[in-house]
Amino acid sequence: MVGMRVLDAPRALVFDMWSDPKHLAQWWGPDGFTTTTSTFDLRPGGVWRFVMHGPDGRDYQNRIVFEEVVRPERIVYRHGGAEDVEPVQFRTTVTFEDLGGKTRLTLHARFPSPEERDRVIRDYGADKGMAQTLSRLADYLASIG
Amino acid sequence: MPDPLSTTFAALADPTRRAILARLALGETSVTELAEPFEMSLPAVSKHLKVLERAGLIARGREAQWRPCRISPDGLRPVDDWLESYRRLWNERLDRLETYLQELQAKDKAGTEKKRGPKR
Repeated sequence: MVGMRVLDAPRALVFDMWSDPKHLAQWWGPDGFTTTTSTFDLRPGGVWRFVMHGPDGRDYQNRIVFEEVVRPERIVYRHGGAEDVEPVQFRTTVTFEDLGGKTRLTLHARFPSPEERDRVIRDYGADKGMAQTLSRLADYLASIG
Repeated sequence: MPDPLSTTFAALADPTRRAILARLALGETSVTELAEPFEMSLPAVSKHLKVLERAGLIARGREAQWRPCRISPDGLRPVDDWLESYRRLWNERLDRLETYLQELQAKDKAGTEKKRGPKR
């Protein structure tokens, strides 16, 4: 998990913040950045192309592919493409939880796994996702650190 | 030579190796014991251990007979540092989203006296 926040706003409104580039432009970029969207298509297989303009004048091209869109509960997307410089591709699951007027927003990064994953999960009962394993190991790290 | 982070991720990009790490997080153990739940041959397990060892994720004792495997938490530090940059980015984003939502809702309240609100 990379982030969690309880927001003082109804779930539908929080989901709107993700489904309209106008809203996204208001909060997406890192501090000091602005975001310009060229393509935005929020549905499975749809692409969000945007440029983040850095305070130093540099532009950062970004591409997000949506994999799952369940309004107003969940969005799953993959960041980057083959040309991306990041060493690892990962999927992010955004969950919107209705807390009666408030909304819990949770961000979960999952790492890609090889094709045999399903088989191994079945055969070894190793149904622990990367994130889970990592967080356990991180706990372990903290406990001995 | 790939960069260290890629080596670490390559080592982690296998469910069996992650399961081995998860097991070792509970304490050190021998290769034989490690192989048991996986229904794998010892050479196959050794192969996985070599990958993990090369990535600095585990260490193995040098005792001739029983070479205990243990986790090397420092090996995960590059991954944790890498993730930390995303955690930071997301925290900043969530701060801005929170502020923006407050502004939007305040404006909404001020603009219309009518009850609106998708309250459910």
